[in-house]
Amino acid sequence: MDIGWFLAVSALIFTIGAAGVLTRRSPLVILLCLELMLNAANLALIAFARMHGSQEGQVFALIVMVVAACEVTIGLGIIVAVNRRRLPIDVDEMQELQG
Amino acid sequence: MTSLELFAWLTLLFPLAGCVALALAGRSLPGRGPGWVGTGALALSFASAVGALLALLAEDHEHRQAVAVAWDYADSVGIDAQLSLLVDPLSVFMIVVVSGVSMLIHLYSISYLDSDRGYVRFFAYLNYFVFSMLLLVLAGNFLVLIIGWAFVGAASYLLISFWYRRTTATGAGIKAFIINVLGDVGLVLGTFFIFRHVGTLDFVGAFENAREEFSRGDADLTAGLILLLVGAFAKSAQIPLHTWLPDAMEGPTPVSALIHAATMVTAGVYLIARMHPLFELAPTAAAVGAIIGCLTLLVAATIAIAVTDLKRVIAYSTMSQIGYMIMAVSAGAYAAGLFHLMTHAFFKALLFMAAGSVIAAMAGMQDLNRMGGFKRAMPFTFGCMVIGGLALAGVPPLSGFFSKDEILLLVGDRGGWHWILYAAGYLGAFLTGIYTFRMIFRAFLGEPVTEARELEQGHLHHAEAPTNPATGEVEDADVGFPGPEHQIAERESTMKLAMGALALLAIVGGALQIPHATHVIHDFLEPTFADSTHYASKPSKAHINRGLVIGTLVALAGIAIAYLVWVKRPQLATAARARLAPVHRLLVNKWYFDELIDALVTRPAQWFGAWAQQTFERVFVNGLLVGGTTGVVRVGSSAVRAAQTGFLRYYALLIVVGMVALAFYFLLAT
Amino acid sequence: MTLHLSILLWLPLAFGVLALVAPARAAGRLALAGGGLALVYAVLYLVDFDAARPGLQYLTNETWIDELGISYKLGLDGLNMLLVALTTVLWFASLLWANLREWERPRLFYFHLALAETAVLGALLAQDLALFVVFFDLMLVPFFFLTGMWGAANRVQATMKLVIYTLVGSLLMLTAAIATGVLAAQGDPALSFALSDLAQRPLAESSQQWIFLFFTAAFLVKMPAFPLHGWMPDGYRAMPLPVLAVFSGVLSKVAAYGFLRICLPLFPDATEQFQMLLLLVALASILYGSAMAFTTPEMRLILGYSSVAQLGFITLGIFALNAQGAQGAMLQAFNHGLVVAPAFFVVALLAARAGGSQDIRDMGGMAMRAPVLATLFLIVAFATLAMPGSANFVGEFYILLGVFEEKIVIALVASAGIVMAAYYALRLFITTMHNRMGARVESREIAPREALVLAPLVLLILAIALYPQFALKRSEETVSAVTAPLAAQQAEGGAETAQRRAAARDEAP
Repeated sequence: MDIGWFLAVSALIFTIGAAGVLTRRSPLVILLCLELMLNAANLALIAFARMHGSQEGQVFALIVMVVAACEVTIGLGIIVAVNRRRLPIDVDEMQELQG
Repeated sequence: MTSLELFAWLTLLFPLAGCVALALAGRSLPGRGPGWVGTGALALSFASAVGALLALLAEDHEHRQAVAVAWDYADSVGIDAQLSLLVDPLSVFMIVVVSGVSMLIHLYSISYLDSDRGYVRFFAYLNYFVFSMLLLVLAGNFLVLIIGWAFVGAASYLLISFWYRRTTATGAGIKAFIINVLGDVGLVLGTFFIFRHVGTLDFVGAFENAREEFSRGDADLTAGLILLLVGAFAKSAQIPLHTWLPDAMEGPTPVSALIHAATMVTAGVYLIARMHPLFELAPTAAAVGAIIGCLTLLVAATIAIAVTDLKRVIAYSTMSQIGYMIMAVSAGAYAAGLFHLMTHAFFKALLFMAAGSVIAAMAGMQDLNRMGGFKRAMPFTFGCMVIGGLALAGVPPLSGFFSKDEILLLVGDRGGWHWILYAAGYLGAFLTGIYTFRMIFRAFLGEPVTEARELEQGHLHHAEAPTNPATGEVEDADVGFPGPEHQIAERESTMKLAMGALALLAIVGGALQIPHATHVIHDFLEPTFADSTHYASKPSKAHINRGLVIGTLVALAGIAIAYLVWVKRPQLATAARARLAPVHRLLVNKWYFDELIDALVTRPAQWFGAWAQQTFERVFVNGLLVGGTTGVVRVGSSAVRAAQTGFLRYYALLIVVGMVALAFYFLLAT
Repeated sequence: MTLHLSILLWLPLAFGVLALVAPARAAGRLALAGGGLALVYAVLYLVDFDAARPGLQYLTNETWIDELGISYKLGLDGLNMLLVALTTVLWFASLLWANLREWERPRLFYFHLALAETAVLGALLAQDLALFVVFFDLMLVPFFFLTGMWGAANRVQATMKLVIYTLVGSLLMLTAAIATGVLAAQGDPALSFALSDLAQRPLAESSQQWIFLFFTAAFLVKMPAFPLHGWMPDGYRAMPLPVLAVFSGVLSKVAAYGFLRICLPLFPDATEQFQMLLLLVALASILYGSAMAFTTPEMRLILGYSSVAQLGFITLGIFALNAQGAQGAMLQAFNHGLVVAPAFFVVALLAARAGGSQDIRDMGGMAMRAPVLATLFLIVAFATLAMPGSANFVGEFYILLGVFEEKIVIALVASAGIVMAAYYALRLFITTMHNRMGARVESREIAPREALVLAPLVLLILAIALYPQFALKRSEETVSAVTAPLAAQQAEGGAETAQRRAAARDEAP
């Protein structure tokens, strides 16, 4: 199968993810969309690995998964912590780091 | 190390050891113990000085010079500063006089300071002073000289502000110190001018090289020597750097006797004598010294006639007498100047001691207007005062007569414009007679005051609460100020002994150098001044005899006028004061020198300081430079801060936009 | 026994890290032990140091970042030997003093103090330009925290001012350092920041000029010199006193040292060209600093402005560009550190006796029941005003003589600074110790444990006063080597004098 189809799907998923990150205000949904973006990248990596017949791309994809897992853990931790303090779960409300 | 060098070191080290011992352990000594320790150290020092004298005399004439080096002090990159002493007739002469007179004044102080809380501190300071003075006169190079020079200034400061709770005393102390530091700086810069050409700091080497390096009247040498003279003038209280000396009378009276009469203030005289090979190469500088000396002797003598503070009269007299010495050594009359230095040390110390006795009887009061009639109450003090006064006025056959006479004789013998100095010297001698006996007559003759009467009846008057005569505030007797008991010579054997010894020396001291008869000092100092062109000059017999007659007449005339005005017809004094009101005002205000220096130096310095503090620092340094730099950084950072909105999605958008831009860039680039 | 400079360098920091993790009560003792060991180690160097040998000794030279030509190169010679000793002495004294009281968050406090010592030692020991810059900027970090966290009233503002102002200087220096390495490597493939290599590759005169000015700006800010001293008053007011003692005693010397170590050997042409400018800056520092010192009533600022004046003297000596001036500057750098630190200790003692005030108008009459304190203070005051007989005077004598040989007028004007110093030092002494008692003053003798800090320093002042040759001897060789090329370029008149002096020296037995 042509590599182009894989990449098209990957780009589509990535765009959906990016659009979600930019438009949604709930951190949970943002995290989900981030996962979408990462997996889009994984798809592209694996497609290229298949095309070149080498293992590097697959290794990268595995590492990305590990990173994604860590990220989700921390992200969820933060959300839980925010929730515990009874703060609104809304990224637009959380802007204390402004200069 | 030869015995000569050893004795020189010992002379120096005993007072230092005394000072350290007193500072560390003085408080644990009972009663007058610290005083005796201090005096003992000086006695040992004096014995060593005499030992050095004998060792020097044992050498033959050509070898009467030794340089003793302890260690390399600061010897690098061409600056050869070692810790070295130069032992020759001049320095040995000085150490014998200094340690001898100091020993007697220590002896006097044992009882005089007895009831003072600062007894130990006083003797530690006094020992330190003597050490410094000996270091000054024994110094073998410019750097050690400067060290000794500054040390005596520091000791002088410490002792002037000895009663440090008095604001007048601390003020006088800082004034003396600053003027002395000014002198130190003059000395340092003068040294630079000389070092630049001779390439060594060592005296012996410098004087040898100077003959080759400098032509007669060399501009650098003249500049250097005039700067050295600034140092000499500051230390010896010559115009216009004299204003500290009268104020220095805030210190205890033995300090006035030791530092501000007998020893430290004569350092300028020693300096010029020590530098004589250089001064003879630069006649202009020597002339400056002689003229300033002459001016000082006249100005100070006129002021001494008008002031009413007992100690200040003697202080101005000291200035005047040092003017004679400075004039002498600048004009080449070295032996005469140093001879006068010695006799002056005897009779001036004596006068101060006698004055101290009177002041003690007056419970610290120094105003002549409040004194009178002490003759019967204090006969011994009176006798000493009269002996000192006669010697100071230059009445034969007392010591002052011969020494002053020899100065004027040799100065007059130089010829040329020096005759002005000669005439001025006799005018000064006339004034000396007047002010000396004005002081004695007013304090001792006339109607006895309350204090004198009480003393006659056998009990010592003392004020209930002593007040500072200058400010009127009650003295703080808690620390360092004499308690209610004041010691006077009539009752204290150590004071009597010291004064008696000095009185004897003041009477017979002149015998060392009687015209036509003896010339002990001249011969002794000969090896030091062998290279001088003026040293061997011999005035004619007629000139000598003329001088002796004029000197006697002038002195007696001065005393007679004093007798007439202040004893015989006291109304004359008031009449003269009314008649010559402007002159009197000028003299009472000390020729307005204090005001002049205030306007020229102190005020501009304060003004500059205030301006720098209040305007420049705030506006330029803090506002413009610091404010400018930090302002730029702040403005820059606030611009950057504006981009930090805190909106998470805004940041995400920026990332995406950036990434897209990058992608397009690469797409277009390929 | 072989000595390793790396041990000396990292020893304080190692103990600082220990202090960070140890129990809070032991932190002070641990940092003190580190300072003490560093002091012992520095003394070993002082004894072992071969004064007669020119060049660097105890060299450590490792490649650090090969691609950039940056090496970890440390060495001792006559320029930094004494300053290293001074640093360890003052740090030990300061740590000892800091241990006399309790600090909030002691672990962090002592860690920063120890880090500061390592940074200063690193700047002094570094023989690589990049390494020097790293340590020079690292010095700022601990002082930022020490001032910001443990300082006095308006500490935050003062800290920001201090950091921003000195950081601008540091940035200029960083730029200049990079430019030096890169420009020097032109035509030569191997980039190197080692000072010895850079000295072999002289820069073009035009680039020397701006690089020299950048370095100069950084050093003058650090010193501080007039008119770049604006951060000093606030900084001095805010810093805790034990920190201020080492800051004033050592950090300013690192800047002066930078001139001798970097500017003179690397940019000789520019140095020559800007000599007059620097001399005038130094002169202005002397006069302005002195004038400020005798008008301000705050004790910290009296010492601060007196440091401006003293650093002016040191700069004056360095830019006399002859051996006498530089020798004097080295000696004076050592002396000033040795004098100003005990002076700050005295300020602390006096403040404790005047109800916490550090204003001389609230003082007076303290000598009464405190003769020992008065004596110690008097010695420090006399040394501060460079009374002849103190080593400070020898330093000023050398400096002024060096300047005198080059530019007479400047030496004559600068000598006014000595008189002014006499006034402000004595004013400080009199208004605190003498005169009438201040309203809230309580005269109390120095406590034995306080004397334990102050007395050894005063004894050191006395010892060096008796034998300044100790310092002069150790710096003579290197200083001569540094200034010799510059002296050779000077006008012929100077050369003539030097020759004649050499001749006179040979003739003397």
